[in-house]
Amino acid sequence: MAAARRLKRVAISQPGFLTLNPKVTPTDLVSSRRKRVNKNKKKNWNKYSDVQDVEEFLEDVRHQERTTGGLLCEKSDDSLFFLDVGQPKKVEEKEAAEPVKGKKRKGKSSRPLRIDLILQHDSLVAPPKDVLAYQKPNAKKLRRTAERAEKLAANGVVPRSKKRLLNRTVVDRMSKKTETEANNNPERDFYDIWGQETKDLGEPWYLQQTRKKLVKRPEKLNEKPSVLPAVEVIAPGGSYNPDFFSHQELLREAHEVELKKKKVEDKLERQLAYNKADTATEETILREQVEGLVEESEEEEEKDAPKEDGEEVAVGAIAVADKKTERQRKREKAEKMKEQQRLTERRQTEQQQQLFQLRSIKTSIKQQEETTQIRQKRRKAKEEAQKAQPRRLGKLKFQPQDMEVQLSDELAGSLRQLKPEGSVLMDRFKSLQKRNLIEPRERAKFKRRLKVKYVEKRAFKEIS
Amino acid sequence: MGGLQKKKFERGSATNYITRNRARKKLQLSLPDFRRLCILKGIYPHEPKHKKKVNKGSTAPRTFYLLKDIRFLLHEPIVGKFREYKIFVRKLKKAYGKTEWSAVERLRENKPTYKLDHIIKERYPTFIDALRDIDDALCMCFLFSTFARTGKCHVQTIQLCRRLTVEWMNYVIASRSLRKVFLSIKGIYYQAEVMGQLITWVVPYQFSHDHPVDVDYRVMATFTELYTTLLGFVSFRLYSSLNLVYPPKLDSNGESEPKEESEDDYAMNSESYLEKLSALSASLARVVSSADEEEAQLDQFPSEGEDMEKMEAREKELKQQEAQKKLFEGLKFYLNREVPRESLAFVIRCFGGQVSWDKSVCIGSTYDVTDETITHQIIDRPSVGKQYINRYYIQPQWLYDCVNAKILLPVEDYFLGVTLPPHLSPFVEEKEGDYVPPEKLKMMALQRGEKPGNEQEEDEEEEEEEEGEQEEEEEQEEDDNGDEEDDEEEVAEEKNLKKMEEQRSQDKSLHVKVTPGKLKVENKARLEQEEKAEEKRLAIMMMKKKEKYLYDKIMFGKKRKVREANKLAAKRKAHDDSEKAKKKKARK
Repeated sequence: MAAARRLKRVAISQPGFLTLNPKVTPTDLVSSRRKRVNKNKKKNWNKYSDVQDVEEFLEDVRHQERTTGGLLCEKSDDSLFFLDVGQPKKVEEKEAAEPVKGKKRKGKSSRPLRIDLILQHDSLVAPPKDVLAYQKPNAKKLRRTAERAEKLAANGVVPRSKKRLLNRTVVDRMSKKTETEANNNPERDFYDIWGQETKDLGEPWYLQQTRKKLVKRPEKLNEKPSVLPAVEVIAPGGSYNPDFFSHQELLREAHEVELKKKKVEDKLERQLAYNKADTATEETILREQVEGLVEESEEEEEKDAPKEDGEEVAVGAIAVADKKTERQRKREKAEKMKEQQRLTERRQTEQQQQLFQLRSIKTSIKQQEETTQIRQKRRKAKEEAQKAQPRRLGKLKFQPQDMEVQLSDELAGSLRQLKPEGSVLMDRFKSLQKRNLIEPRERAKFKRRLKVKYVEKRAFKEIS
Repeated sequence: MGGLQKKKFERGSATNYITRNRARKKLQLSLPDFRRLCILKGIYPHEPKHKKKVNKGSTAPRTFYLLKDIRFLLHEPIVGKFREYKIFVRKLKKAYGKTEWSAVERLRENKPTYKLDHIIKERYPTFIDALRDIDDALCMCFLFSTFARTGKCHVQTIQLCRRLTVEWMNYVIASRSLRKVFLSIKGIYYQAEVMGQLITWVVPYQFSHDHPVDVDYRVMATFTELYTTLLGFVSFRLYSSLNLVYPPKLDSNGESEPKEESEDDYAMNSESYLEKLSALSASLARVVSSADEEEAQLDQFPSEGEDMEKMEAREKELKQQEAQKKLFEGLKFYLNREVPRESLAFVIRCFGGQVSWDKSVCIGSTYDVTDETITHQIIDRPSVGKQYINRYYIQPQWLYDCVNAKILLPVEDYFLGVTLPPHLSPFVEEKEGDYVPPEKLKMMALQRGEKPGNEQEEDEEEEEEEEGEQEEEEEQEEDDNGDEEDDEEEVAEEKNLKKMEEQRSQDKSLHVKVTPGKLKVENKARLEQEEKAEEKRLAIMMMKKKEKYLYDKIMFGKKRKVREANKLAAKRKAHDDSEKAKKKKARK
């Protein structure tokens, strides 16, 4: 660029330089007089150096380059001028020939649109060359790598990137689906869970620390909370076509259960019942209302009198206690000592006597042991019996379901006419409760927080 | 007396227990989630011995858990999943509230789920443990598979349950392990013997559901969630033990291939396979197809006296079982449309019979009514239009009674329109001295191979005789045992002794004549018996007062039992007589 500029300067300084701008003469470009200012300050550079002329000149040069493709002074005369010899005839002939071919194409269609003309590239300056179009960065290196790759491929060596692609595990959507499939998917597959050994994924310490190893289940948790079997078969009387006596037996049992229930109900009723003599009559009501208004004064006096006496007596009793004399104390002490001595002597003799009672002592010990054994046995039997019983696990006690019974006239003659009694679902649920696997619960009651307001609609109101 | 004062409830049982609410807070779970977790992990509430101590002085009833159990729960990875699910629900609600449907869809796609495999492995460390606990699982799955798909629980759960139950039934058929069936008013009880474990389950009758309101469905669904996983793994293992392909496949080259026609009408393509499986009419494909498997012989070890007897008994039992397994082999059944198809098909196929039904009843019927080779037609209506002469028309109870009796019972009692004999429970095992219904006695007689006479009266006589025989047999057995403590039939023996004594005394007093000597045939067995009886009597005499008292008590109890049984039998006889009289009157 600098070289080009210099060249321009040189060209301008030549006396034969032509300008497109008529105002500017080459002599103007070179200023005659300059104002003197300090040029050691940048401010002054901008202020006092007059670059108008240079800029105008440069603008002119650019203009020339744009319109003619170069400086005018450098152009040959042939390119600038031509010899004017009037209208050429050939053009006319051509114009005459054209309408013969087709009049329709005359005018607008043949000429380009004005908009296109405006948009046309009108500068004659050649566009700068794009270096990258001819030059590739790192071309040499790339070429070499390509060559090497070709060579390796010819030898049958797979590049690492390709290898990695091949080695990548195929993560298809199906496998992902199986991972996230629900537990109750009807098409889920099962495998031999007890046969295969768990794969060792690493060090036990690492697994433990990263929570990948499951905590061992305590043995105690595998014990069942009840000794009852999972499925309790119904009594033989529960057959759809039962034997007469077993059916009667079942009926009797059901009857007993009902009796027990009735008894409880009756008891409750009895407790809630009131004595009919206690009902309020007019008389009793009146008496109650007048209570304490009529004869209270006499009774109160009578009651008050003994109370005062009692207080007096109590006060007197406290006053009676008085001090012991020295002599009394000594005597008491001696008596105490004597008593103690007597007791120790007695104990000693008793111990000596026990030597002769050895046999009876032995028998008594034996008896004691026997009784404890019996008690232990009894307790154990009780515990065993308790094991089959449902425990109290929560607020509610276990309530056995109603016995499934069909009365003699309800029994079906054949399997087709059988009407099933009770529900297996209920049976299962109660069995779980009975075996202490879940606590008996009641369904939570729905509580309405906000009041419900009933409003009669107007249309309804009109009728009623 | 120095030292710090002990504070109450800081040691001992008060610190070993934790209330439910505190446990819930410790785990940061809501109550339903906590309950679910406890069920899945098998942690149950405890009743403390000293409630007041545990409850810090209060006697209010509360639910307690062991603190160690709850600490164990803290390590469970599923707890995290529960929390994730909670967040998921919250986000979903929010998205719904804002009507952001794309967000709803995205959230639903990424719904957090969990698996219970590790819990199964943890709770049941070995396969046998799992098999012991399979009763519950079976009941639950059979129950849920009969539910209507009406939103009481997830439809998927119902489908899974159905699939698992079908797999189980097919396994039982393939292994021929069914032992007992009992039709009760509640449902059908089945018992099978799988790998030496007796497994009982109950199946509700179809279409019999009125949903009880006071059952907590959420709890039941949680149990089912656990049990479906358990049952799946168990059935995989069972199938592989029989060399069957696990997701069960129908044997394609078997002779009883279901017909291909009209399948499209019956079910959708996706469902028809399960339906065909659940028809139970075709056998399953095996991994290694083997036409005849060699049956393993029981190894016999030379052993001494008592063991030999046991061995013989066991062998006899085994033989009986084998016979029972082939009970219906060679028989061809046809089910009318009014009988419970699934149960009957299951029972028939379990004992090797062939079964078919009307094409319109269910998929998988193998032959028509018109098939001439049908031996039994199961029917449950008072009369039928066209009858074939070469087959029995019997009521369904016959099949079940045959299974329980382990023999083919005479068909006469079960013919069309005949009043059925009572269906006895096979789960009752009578001890001696208990009342045994005459029908059962008859059955036992049949099992022993005796043939009942044609007339009923004769029958009864025979029964009585049989009873007598039985008692005698029992006596002999006891004598063989010869233990002093086993003095059951004391009464009879004492009578015998008295008789003998009387005879002797009579000998002394009356027969003074001298007669030519006869060779006295000494009955060895009788002599032995006498000796034993004598020994026993002496032993009784030597008893201490206390023991004697106890002995008398036991004997009295036994006598009472016998008396009651006799009473019941007499009652029954009276009842039967009156019935008979009624019948006779009716006939006249």
